[in-house]
Amino acid sequence: MSELPTYVLDRTFNAPPALVWRTWTEPELVQRWYGPGVTSIVHKMDVREGGEWLHEMQWGGNSNYQRADYSEVTPHTRLVWLHANTDGDWMITANPMMPDWPRLLLTVVTMDAEGDKTRLRLTWTPHEATDKEIACFEAAMDGMGQGWGKGMDMLEEILKELQG
Amino acid sequence: MEQVGYINPSANLDAVFSALADPTRRAILARLSTGEAAVQELAEPFSISQPAISKHLKVLERAGLVERDIDRQRRPARLCAQPMADAVAWLEEFRNFWSGSFDQLDILLEDLKTAEETPNE
Repeated sequence: MSELPTYVLDRTFNAPPALVWRTWTEPELVQRWYGPGVTSIVHKMDVREGGEWLHEMQWGGNSNYQRADYSEVTPHTRLVWLHANTDGDWMITANPMMPDWPRLLLTVVTMDAEGDKTRLRLTWTPHEATDKEIACFEAAMDGMGQGWGKGMDMLEEILKELQG
Repeated sequence: MEQVGYINPSANLDAVFSALADPTRRAILARLSTGEAAVQELAEPFSISQPAISKHLKVLERAGLVERDIDRQRRPARLCAQPMADAVAWLEEFRNFWSGSFDQLDILLEDLKTAEETPNE
Protein backbone atom coordinates (compact mmCIF):
# COMPACT_ATOMS: atom_id res chain seq x y z
CA MET A 1 0.00 0.00 0.00
CA SER A 2 2.90 2.34 0.74
CA GLU A 3 3.70 2.13 -2.99
CA LEU A 4 0.75 4.32 -3.87
CA PRO A 5 1.56 7.87 -4.96
CA THR A 6 0.50 10.38 -2.34
CA TYR A 7 0.00 14.12 -2.39
CA VAL A 8 1.20 15.64 0.89
CA LEU A 9 0.56 19.18 2.03
CA ASP A 10 1.87 20.56 5.33
CA ARG A 11 0.84 23.85 6.83
CA THR A 12 1.06 25.38 10.27
CA PHE A 13 -1.88 27.49 11.41
CA ASN A 14 -1.65 30.12 14.09
CA ALA A 15 -4.50 28.68 16.20
CA PRO A 16 -4.97 25.68 18.50
CA PRO A 17 -6.30 22.37 17.07
CA ALA A 18 -9.71 22.83 18.73
CA LEU A 19 -10.28 25.99 16.71
CA VAL A 20 -8.80 24.59 13.48
CA TRP A 21 -11.07 21.55 13.89
CA ARG A 22 -14.13 23.80 13.95
CA THR A 23 -13.13 25.35 10.60
CA TRP A 24 -13.14 21.87 9.00
CA THR A 25 -16.35 20.61 10.57
CA GLU A 26 -18.81 23.53 10.87
CA PRO A 27 -20.52 24.26 7.53
CA GLU A 28 -20.75 28.03 7.99
CA LEU A 29 -17.01 28.15 8.69
CA VAL A 30 -16.01 25.73 5.89
CA GLN A 31 -17.87 27.94 3.41
CA ARG A 32 -15.69 30.87 4.36
CA TRP A 33 -12.37 29.35 3.31
CA TYR A 34 -12.75 26.20 1.18
CA GLY A 35 -12.18 27.11 -2.48
CA PRO A 36 -10.32 30.30 -3.39
CA GLY A 37 -12.16 32.89 -5.44
CA VAL A 38 -15.35 30.84 -5.63
CA THR A 39 -18.70 30.83 -3.87
CA SER A 40 -18.62 27.81 -1.59
CA ILE A 41 -21.87 26.15 -0.54
CA VAL A 42 -22.08 23.29 1.94
CA HIS A 43 -25.26 21.37 1.08
CA LYS A 44 -24.73 18.82 3.79
CA MET A 45 -22.08 18.22 6.42
CA ASP A 46 -22.54 15.36 8.80
CA VAL A 47 -19.17 14.88 10.47
CA ARG A 48 -19.25 11.35 11.86
CA GLU A 49 -18.14 7.96 10.62
CA GLY A 50 -20.45 7.10 7.74
CA GLY A 51 -21.64 10.69 7.44
CA GLU A 52 -21.27 12.80 4.28
CA TRP A 53 -20.19 16.26 3.18
CA LEU A 54 -21.78 17.54 -0.02
CA HIS A 55 -20.09 20.64 -1.41
CA GLU A 56 -20.74 22.97 -4.35
CA MET A 57 -18.36 25.59 -5.70
CA GLN A 58 -19.70 28.29 -8.01
CA TRP A 59 -17.82 30.72 -10.19
CA GLY A 60 -18.70 32.61 -13.36
CA GLY A 61 -21.99 30.74 -13.82
CA ASN A 62 -20.37 27.32 -13.43
CA SER A 63 -20.73 24.81 -10.64
CA ASN A 64 -18.41 22.10 -9.44
CA TYR A 65 -19.72 19.43 -7.11
CA GLN A 66 -17.84 17.13 -4.78
CA ARG A 67 -18.68 14.76 -2.02
CA ALA A 68 -16.80 13.41 0.97
CA ASP A 69 -17.74 10.27 2.87
CA TYR A 70 -16.21 10.27 6.33
CA SER A 71 -14.57 7.08 7.54
CA GLU A 72 -12.74 8.31 10.62
CA VAL A 73 -13.51 11.22 12.91
CA THR A 74 -11.29 11.91 15.91
CA PRO A 75 -12.05 15.41 17.20
CA HIS A 76 -9.17 17.91 17.11
CA THR A 77 -6.83 15.23 15.78
CA ARG A 78 -7.78 13.31 12.68
CA LEU A 79 -10.36 13.46 9.92
CA VAL A 80 -10.47 10.85 7.14
CA TRP A 81 -12.78 10.74 4.15
CA LEU A 82 -13.17 9.48 0.60
CA HIS A 83 -13.21 12.43 -1.77
CA ALA A 84 -14.90 12.40 -5.20
CA ASN A 85 -16.07 14.68 -7.99
CA THR A 86 -19.80 14.32 -8.58
CA ASP A 87 -22.61 15.53 -10.81
CA GLY A 88 -25.35 17.79 -9.49
CA ASP A 89 -27.10 14.77 -7.99
CA TRP A 90 -24.02 13.89 -5.92
CA MET A 91 -23.31 10.80 -8.02
CA ILE A 92 -19.59 10.14 -8.49
CA THR A 93 -18.29 11.09 -11.96
CA ALA A 94 -14.99 11.15 -13.78
CA ASN A 95 -13.01 14.39 -13.90
CA PRO A 96 -14.06 15.93 -17.26
CA MET A 97 -10.53 17.15 -17.97
CA MET A 98 -8.80 13.98 -16.89
CA PRO A 99 -10.84 10.82 -17.41
CA ASP A 100 -8.14 8.79 -15.67
CA TRP A 101 -7.95 11.01 -12.57
CA PRO A 102 -8.79 8.73 -9.59
CA ARG A 103 -12.53 8.60 -8.89
CA LEU A 104 -11.85 8.21 -5.19
CA LEU A 105 -9.12 9.88 -3.20
CA LEU A 106 -8.53 8.87 0.38
CA THR A 107 -8.06 12.14 2.21
CA VAL A 108 -6.41 12.24 5.62
CA VAL A 109 -6.18 15.44 7.63
CA THR A 110 -4.19 15.32 10.85
CA MET A 111 -3.82 18.12 13.36
CA ASP A 112 -0.98 18.27 15.89
CA ALA A 113 -0.68 20.91 18.57
CA GLU A 114 2.59 22.80 18.50
CA GLY A 115 2.44 25.29 21.36
CA ASP A 116 -0.67 27.32 20.59
CA LYS A 117 -0.35 26.56 16.89
CA THR A 118 -1.54 23.61 14.81
CA ARG A 119 0.60 21.60 12.45
CA LEU A 120 -1.79 20.30 9.81
CA ARG A 121 -1.01 17.63 7.28
CA LEU A 122 -3.30 16.79 4.39
CA THR A 123 -2.66 13.72 2.23
CA TRP A 124 -4.43 12.46 -0.87
CA THR A 125 -4.00 8.85 -2.00
CA PRO A 126 -5.89 7.05 -4.80
CA HIS A 127 -8.42 4.63 -3.32
CA GLU A 128 -9.44 1.34 -4.95
CA ALA A 129 -7.92 2.83 -8.09
CA THR A 130 -7.21 1.24 -11.46
CA ASP A 131 -3.62 1.11 -12.72
CA LYS A 132 -4.50 3.89 -15.16
CA GLU A 133 -5.85 6.08 -12.37
CA ILE A 134 -2.77 5.50 -10.25
CA ALA A 135 -0.48 6.30 -13.20
CA CYS A 136 -2.42 9.48 -13.98
CA PHE A 137 -2.32 10.65 -10.37
CA GLU A 138 1.37 9.83 -10.09
CA ALA A 139 2.24 11.72 -13.28
CA ALA A 140 0.29 14.78 -12.18
CA MET A 141 1.73 14.71 -8.66
CA ASP A 142 5.25 14.37 -10.06
CA GLY A 143 4.56 17.60 -11.87
CA MET A 144 3.72 19.33 -8.61
CA GLY A 145 7.40 20.05 -8.25
CA GLN A 146 8.34 17.02 -6.18
CA GLY A 147 9.43 14.72 -8.98
CA TRP A 148 9.97 17.05 -11.89
CA GLY A 149 11.85 19.59 -9.85
CA LYS A 150 13.62 21.72 -12.40
CA GLY A 151 11.47 20.13 -15.08
CA MET A 152 8.48 22.22 -14.10
CA ASP A 153 10.56 25.41 -14.20
CA MET A 154 11.77 24.37 -17.61
CA LEU A 155 8.24 23.93 -18.92
CA GLU A 156 7.29 27.34 -17.62
CA GLU A 157 10.36 28.84 -19.30
CA ILE A 158 9.49 27.21 -22.62
CA LEU A 159 5.95 28.52 -22.40
CA LYS A 160 7.12 32.04 -21.61
CA GLU A 161 9.45 31.98 -24.63
CA LEU A 162 6.70 30.73 -26.90
CA GLN A 163 4.25 33.33 -25.67
CA GLY A 164 6.78 36.17 -25.73
CA MET B 1 -25.87 18.07 -14.99
CA GLU B 2 -22.65 19.12 -16.66
CA GLN B 3 -19.58 19.34 -14.50
CA VAL B 4 -17.23 22.09 -15.53
CA GLY B 5 -13.59 22.70 -14.67
CA TYR B 6 -11.80 26.00 -14.39
CA ILE B 7 -10.07 25.63 -17.74
CA ASN B 8 -10.99 24.00 -21.03
CA PRO B 9 -8.00 22.06 -22.24
CA SER B 10 -7.45 21.39 -25.91
CA ALA B 11 -6.14 17.90 -25.31
CA ASN B 12 -6.59 14.93 -23.06
CA LEU B 13 -4.56 15.91 -20.02
CA ASP B 14 -4.10 12.28 -18.94
CA ALA B 15 -1.92 11.67 -22.00
CA VAL B 16 -0.14 15.00 -21.61
CA PHE B 17 0.82 14.29 -18.01
CA SER B 18 2.12 10.82 -18.69
CA ALA B 19 4.11 12.18 -21.64
CA LEU B 20 5.58 14.98 -19.54
CA ALA B 21 6.44 12.66 -16.65
CA ASP B 22 9.59 11.46 -18.43
CA PRO B 23 12.80 13.56 -18.20
CA THR B 24 14.04 12.59 -21.68
CA ARG B 25 10.76 13.67 -23.21
CA ARG B 26 10.88 16.96 -21.33
CA ALA B 27 14.41 17.49 -22.66
CA ILE B 28 13.20 16.77 -26.20
CA LEU B 29 10.51 19.41 -25.76
CA ALA B 30 13.09 21.88 -24.50
CA ARG B 31 15.18 21.25 -27.61
CA LEU B 32 12.14 21.63 -29.87
CA SER B 33 11.27 24.95 -28.26
CA THR B 34 14.31 26.37 -30.07
CA GLY B 35 13.02 25.14 -33.43
CA GLU B 36 12.02 22.02 -35.34
CA ALA B 37 14.43 19.09 -35.47
CA ALA B 38 14.73 15.66 -37.09
CA VAL B 39 15.16 12.46 -35.08
CA GLN B 40 18.87 12.33 -35.82
CA GLU B 41 19.43 15.85 -34.46
CA LEU B 42 17.33 15.09 -31.41
CA ALA B 43 19.29 11.91 -30.65
CA GLU B 44 22.69 13.64 -30.69
CA PRO B 45 22.71 15.20 -27.19
CA PHE B 46 21.32 12.03 -25.61
CA SER B 47 23.15 8.79 -25.12
CA ILE B 48 20.24 6.85 -26.55
CA SER B 49 19.52 5.45 -29.99
CA GLN B 50 17.43 7.00 -32.73
CA PRO B 51 14.76 4.28 -32.41
CA ALA B 52 14.46 5.14 -28.71
CA ILE B 53 14.04 8.82 -29.59
CA SER B 54 11.41 7.86 -32.17
CA LYS B 55 9.51 6.00 -29.49
CA HIS B 56 9.55 9.04 -27.23
CA LEU B 57 8.39 11.20 -30.13
CA LYS B 58 5.44 8.88 -30.71
CA VAL B 59 4.36 9.32 -27.09
CA LEU B 60 4.69 13.09 -27.44
CA GLU B 61 2.75 13.03 -30.72
CA ARG B 62 -0.07 11.01 -29.20
CA ALA B 63 -0.32 13.55 -26.39
CA GLY B 64 -0.54 16.35 -28.97
CA LEU B 65 2.71 17.90 -27.76
CA VAL B 66 4.59 17.34 -31.01
CA GLU B 67 3.68 17.40 -34.69
CA ARG B 68 5.65 15.75 -37.49
CA ASP B 69 5.55 16.29 -41.21
CA ILE B 70 4.47 13.20 -43.07
CA ASP B 71 5.66 13.97 -46.57
CA ARG B 72 9.03 15.58 -45.93
CA GLN B 73 11.88 13.09 -45.86
CA ARG B 74 13.47 14.17 -42.59
CA ARG B 75 10.09 14.25 -40.87
CA PRO B 76 11.16 17.06 -38.54
CA ALA B 77 9.33 17.30 -35.23
CA ARG B 78 7.73 20.53 -34.08
CA LEU B 79 6.54 21.56 -30.63
CA CYS B 80 2.84 22.21 -30.00
CA ALA B 81 2.65 24.34 -26.91
CA GLN B 82 -1.06 24.39 -26.09
CA PRO B 83 -1.39 20.99 -24.36
CA MET B 84 1.70 21.81 -22.31
CA ALA B 85 0.23 25.17 -21.34
CA ASP B 86 -2.97 23.35 -20.31
CA ALA B 87 -1.04 20.88 -18.17
CA VAL B 88 0.95 23.60 -16.43
CA ALA B 89 -2.26 25.60 -15.89
CA TRP B 90 -3.94 22.55 -14.38
CA LEU B 91 -1.05 22.00 -11.96
CA GLU B 92 -1.05 25.64 -10.96
CA GLU B 93 -4.76 25.53 -10.38
CA PHE B 94 -4.42 22.44 -8.20
CA ARG B 95 -1.67 24.07 -6.15
CA ASN B 96 -3.58 27.35 -5.95
CA PHE B 97 -6.69 25.60 -4.75
CA TRP B 98 -5.02 24.53 -1.55
CA SER B 99 -2.65 27.44 -1.03
CA GLY B 100 -5.47 29.89 -1.76
CA SER B 101 -7.88 28.03 0.51
CA PHE B 102 -5.34 27.86 3.32
CA ASP B 103 -4.62 31.59 3.00
CA GLN B 104 -8.35 32.16 3.49
CA LEU B 105 -8.33 29.77 6.44
CA ASP B 106 -5.50 31.79 8.04
CA ILE B 107 -7.67 34.91 7.89
CA LEU B 108 -10.73 33.08 9.21
CA LEU B 109 -8.78 31.69 12.17
CA GLU B 110 -7.55 35.18 13.06
CA ASP B 111 -11.16 36.42 12.95
CA LEU B 112 -12.32 33.57 15.17
CA LYS B 113 -9.56 34.14 17.70
CA THR B 114 -10.41 37.82 17.88
CA ALA B 115 -14.08 36.96 18.39
CA GLU B 116 -13.18 34.55 21.21
CA GLU B 117 -11.08 37.18 22.93
CA THR B 118 -13.98 39.62 23.05
CA PRO B 119 -16.94 37.39 24.00
CA ASN B 120 -19.00 40.06 25.76
CA GLU B 121 -19.06 42.49 22.91
